[in-house]
Amino acid sequence: MTTPRHPNFLASKLAQEMRLALVVLAVLALVPVAVSSPYWLGVLIVSMYFAMLSMGWNLLAGYTGQFSLAPAAFAMLGGYTTALLAWHWKVPLWIGLPMALVVPGLIGLVLGRIVLRLSGPYVALTTLSFAEIVRLVIYNSIDFTRGDQGLNVPALIDSRVGNYYLFVGALTVITVGVFLLLRAPTGRFLLAIRDDEIGAASRGIDVVRAKTVAFFISCAICGIAGGLYGTFAQLVSPELGLIAQTGIVIAMVVIGGMGTLVGPLIGAVLVYVASELLRDAGNVQMIVFALLVIVFARFFREGLWGLARQAIARRRSATRTAASGV
Amino acid sequence: MTGTPLLALDLFVNGLIIGLFYALMAVGLTMIFGILKIVNFAHGEFYMIGAYTYTLISLGLGVSPWLALPVAAASGALLGWATERWLMRPLYTGYGSWGLMKDEYAVVVTFGLSLLLINLVDKVVGPYPVRGPALSDVTRVALGPFMLSGQKLITAGVAIVLLIGLALFIKRSLWGRQVQAVAQNRLGASIAGIDTARATSIIFMASGVLAALAGALLAPIINPAPDVGIFPAVKSYVIVVIGGMGSIPGSIVAALALGVLESFGAVYLSYDYRDTFGLVLLILVLLFRPQGLFGERAREV
Repeated sequence: MTTPRHPNFLASKLAQEMRLALVVLAVLALVPVAVSSPYWLGVLIVSMYFAMLSMGWNLLAGYTGQFSLAPAAFAMLGGYTTALLAWHWKVPLWIGLPMALVVPGLIGLVLGRIVLRLSGPYVALTTLSFAEIVRLVIYNSIDFTRGDQGLNVPALIDSRVGNYYLFVGALTVITVGVFLLLRAPTGRFLLAIRDDEIGAASRGIDVVRAKTVAFFISCAICGIAGGLYGTFAQLVSPELGLIAQTGIVIAMVVIGGMGTLVGPLIGAVLVYVASELLRDAGNVQMIVFALLVIVFARFFREGLWGLARQAIARRRSATRTAASGV
Repeated sequence: MTGTPLLALDLFVNGLIIGLFYALMAVGLTMIFGILKIVNFAHGEFYMIGAYTYTLISLGLGVSPWLALPVAAASGALLGWATERWLMRPLYTGYGSWGLMKDEYAVVVTFGLSLLLINLVDKVVGPYPVRGPALSDVTRVALGPFMLSGQKLITAGVAIVLLIGLALFIKRSLWGRQVQAVAQNRLGASIAGIDTARATSIIFMASGVLAALAGALLAPIINPAPDVGIFPAVKSYVIVVIGGMGSIPGSIVAALALGVLESFGAVYLSYDYRDTFGLVLLILVLLFRPQGLFGERAREV
């Protein structure tokens, strides 16, 4: 935990995680070859929606140390941006979907600027209040948003497999984008700010700018995820922004491995697929995940990916000593 | 109708009463922040558990609601104690090495606890709201020119007694003073021979009692459901930031102010959006006075 990190070590860690993330994405891309059940493809599509939210949230919470509790709210904002544009003004999806990236991003930018000067729990409190209140406004503005009835959204692609590949593609773009961002100087700045904000500022890092960029990108990722989800489900409702949805995202990232590139991917797919399996076993999935979150946060700080990496490292050093042993 | 001034006064009194409940919630939250510098995201679930304990005990065992009230308080204390003992203690027993990861751990673990309690109650008791028994059947009590329901009057009275009792405990008692010392500087207090773990434990239990009693007192009005705690919790987060994190008087003033503001806003501005006024206030405070109305600085050793 406390070993000093050499830049090269960081880069190689990131590259290793990226290779594994590409493997996960490749496996996801190959699934339709073996699985044709529309139900399970649908489950995986939703799990990829959550994977996008997890990537977005992890960029902010895991890499920048800013605990937003509003990822689901930004997904809801993204979904509603597309839906409202299509509903009231008949805006086609090729404009509506990019707007799901831009509008939540800009709202996130404003929110980010407000919470920027705050640290630690203030960020979590303010974003949580923001999330609840946005949901309430959408819920109550019945004339404009139809309240809890939700809004119908036109479909982008009709076939289930087509939608599946749309989500695989979007998730790949987001993963590669986050990887490139983290590899760039901005990414290093984010890690430095997370680990020691005052220290980072004293070395000339523009803390304000780096944090704002992270907030903007994270909210934009959540927004486009919500927009895509809306076109897949052909419906958006205030339930997208429930605190419980944010809870699922946090559970996925913590279980998969916070502050790692591949953790959110593994966590999202495993948790969502497992929750579908547990649903038949008496609807206990959320109890299990909540317990897992507490146990992982308490004892396994790096999540499943951290456990796996430790196992690999132990194996390697064991074979090395066996090879060099006389 | 006796005219607008009386309506305004009526709104003011009702706002103050709502504010008292907000204060019960917010004070517990701000005390926890004061002593550990973390936010308890399971605070709303303390409230929910209190409301359920009160309702289920009095309905299930058929005892008087007045007897169920202390049981609800005990459930809150137990929950607070367990949270502190098993989830929060690693924050300060490993004082140095946890420094960096503190916020992260606290947010994740209390959020996980909140999810756990909501879903556990959902599974064990059921997702449907239960109607809580009232402490008083009197629906209208004339208090000078104001008409209030008996339940509201009793609960407001209990809330005032609790808040005064808490203030006396913190200001006057030995344990209360130890708590203040730990809140000001944990390291300094422990050097002076104060059992910081016990002080933290006391605060979590007190906070649990206040939240559980707020839930129990409001049970006839809110009809406990598993997710009933989320909204009062969000309100108390707003209040705690407005009042200055860690400041007890600040959070009481902010709670009363928010109660009155919402009461007036619901009539004069918009009923549907009454819950959003707090956020507007929050953002204004964050923009112009980020340390809150009564923000305090920590002391150095």
